[in-house]
Amino acid sequence: MASISSRRLAKELREIQAEGCPVGISLVEANDFSKWVFTIQVMGDSLYQDEVHTLQFRFDPQYPISSPAVQFVVTDGKQAPIHPHVYSNGHICASILGNEWSPVLSVIAVCVTLQSMLASCKKKERPADNDRYVKHAPENPKKTLFHYDDDTV
Amino acid sequence: MGNSSSSGRGHHDETVDYGALVPQGVYTGPKDWNQPIVSQLIVARKLAPFYRPLEDYEESWDEDQILAARKELPDPDSADSVTRIEATASSHRSKRPPSVREPSRADALVYRGAVECPICFLYYPPNINHSRCCDQAICTECFVQIKRAEPTTTHIVSEPAACPYCVQDNFGVVYNPPPWRAGLGSEGSSTLWADPPRSTEPSAPPTHKRRQKSFGADSPEVVTTDQIRPDWEAKLDAVRAAVARRANRRIIMRQVGDRLIPVGVTSGRVHALTPEEAAAAGADANGSRRSRRRQAAQGAPLEQFMGMAGQDLEELMLMEAMRLSLLDHEEHQRKEAEEKKKQDAAAAAGQGSSGAEGASASEAPGPSSPGPSSLAIHSAAPSSSDLISSASSTTPSPRNADSRDSLAPARKSWSLSRSRTPPPPPANPAANVPISEENQAAWRSRAAGPPAFSTLSAALTATSTAAAFLGSAPASRSITPEPRARTPVPSITVGGKQPEAAPVASSSGLSVDIGAARASGSSLFTGGAPLESADLASATSVESGEMGAGVGASYDSLHSSPASRASSLEHERLLDRSTPDSDVSKVGGRPNTAEVAYLEEASR
Repeated sequence: MASISSRRLAKELREIQAEGCPVGISLVEANDFSKWVFTIQVMGDSLYQDEVHTLQFRFDPQYPISSPAVQFVVTDGKQAPIHPHVYSNGHICASILGNEWSPVLSVIAVCVTLQSMLASCKKKERPADNDRYVKHAPENPKKTLFHYDDDTV
Repeated sequence: MGNSSSSGRGHHDETVDYGALVPQGVYTGPKDWNQPIVSQLIVARKLAPFYRPLEDYEESWDEDQILAARKELPDPDSADSVTRIEATASSHRSKRPPSVREPSRADALVYRGAVECPICFLYYPPNINHSRCCDQAICTECFVQIKRAEPTTTHIVSEPAACPYCVQDNFGVVYNPPPWRAGLGSEGSSTLWADPPRSTEPSAPPTHKRRQKSFGADSPEVVTTDQIRPDWEAKLDAVRAAVARRANRRIIMRQVGDRLIPVGVTSGRVHALTPEEAAAAGADANGSRRSRRRQAAQGAPLEQFMGMAGQDLEELMLMEAMRLSLLDHEEHQRKEAEEKKKQDAAAAAGQGSSGAEGASASEAPGPSSPGPSSLAIHSAAPSSSDLISSASSTTPSPRNADSRDSLAPARKSWSLSRSRTPPPPPANPAANVPISEENQAAWRSRAAGPPAFSTLSAALTATSTAAAFLGSAPASRSITPEPRARTPVPSITVGGKQPEAAPVASSSGLSVDIGAARASGSSLFTGGAPLESADLASATSVESGEMGAGVGASYDSLHSSPASRASSLEHERLLDRSTPDSDVSKVGGRPNTAEVAYLEEASR
């Protein structure tokens, strides 16, 4: 029997295919229920004009009770957006991916949130502790205990 | 028709309103909620039963389509008996093969007006739970998955689970049961389905009216996530206790003459030992976990610790620093004693003064401080440097006399423990000490590191001096009642002042409250040398000669070491913690010495 994770993801996928992704977000790859890839682009006026970034979701069997592991792809020439909450290894410091994750959120909801996080950015810069973090960061961003200190960006 | 409730009695004993008491396999993770409580709540109609969800639902479906849409059940291995029964029945009830149709119909009818759970995206009968705060639907399968984050030793808080919809604290649900009853709790009168089959009720299921008010977390209607996991508090307490145990570890200080010398580290629980426990631990070294742990540390070679994890190594280094400090102290003591002896010999020749008197005199340079223990603790020591300087000089300060006077009870308990006869020079001191305190002293002394042990056994060997000592003036420990050090330096916690702490403190001497600095380590060894100061003092002249010189240098450097050098060991926290049972007077400065010594050693 399929786990809750694949069951729900199947429904989310069906919905994406039926209704399409929101503007600026497109599904690149969803071959299984463990990893999905999207591209994300900020529409309209922003510091990220004409930039397309690749967002990767990884799901464990407890999704949606447990949050997906979400990060920007930084391989194959792809780059993470320069943003105070995005580390150069693609990890994202966003509370909804950590302690504020709710099972009511969905993959698309996360995409839209991150899109608006980029859109509202005022200054393109890496997090202050980028080098230190990237040096020691675990492969899976979910293993990092982020300290969410700034709600404004 | 309608025999679903009556004829299916045996089966329906395990169902409520055509739903189950146990999960139907939507989630495959551990079932860490309290299932009996959940079952009770379902029977009491305070929580929706575990219905088999529909993968999809259309209003236009007939019963067969509904039943066909019911989710396949997980493999029976992971389900319990109730689930297994249903698993073998596809769309039919296995219990009643001849009359499968009717129960199936009832089973299907409950799904009329099915609603989708926003979390698992599956469809359930309309009698579904709703969040108490924002009135959102949530199936029981999903509800039992939501829980507090598990506390860890680095994150000792346990916030109540928040509502997944509106993030309000103390997530809870309210359940409006259907107006009819079937199965458990229907009291045999669940005939609503039986008699007017497919009448208005099945086709017009109770629609959920959006309610106006939200329920408080403590409303009787509400089932919270904590209610179905009543062990959350115990889990939190367990983590708290583990952390507290680590944080409460102390250095055991021995007061010898004018000095406080660190002789060991408690397990953090030592202050809670009753005399009986202590006796038991001493008598049967293998009896308890605690004593096993102590035994592990006892007399073990240094190398054995070296291979251990960092935290153990840290403790080991601390112990080593204490040992060096002890040796240094002995050296100091020895020099002092020699000087005194010379003076005494010159001044009081012909008086026939015994060695004991000599030693005693060396400890008590002033008339106002008769005992061997007057100088080290400085009641109002405003800073560590002040304390250390006065401690290193042998002149008792007037304040000491005052504080001594105010501590009659402590003196009493101390004299008690001093009044024992020193044991003969044994290989194993424990065998010769019958009283509980003595036992404790024995195993503590064994628990100390090897060098300290040899020192201490030497102390035991030096009976004549010790005996003389015991015969001398009643002990007066200058335990200082000044409750708080005013300066932000770590405090020494002196045990033995209060009655409940007496059993331990009287034999273990003074404990220094440096626990927080060691909070990262496990409590590996405990106890140092709870020998009496007299013994120890005498030991100084026996042992210190050979080891003193090199160590003395490092000790001297300690005095000039500012407290800030040890700042990484989190001194500040020490002052915040109150130590209710073995507490007492706090004196600034001294623990710095121990810790700086530890650092000195570490950097070497």
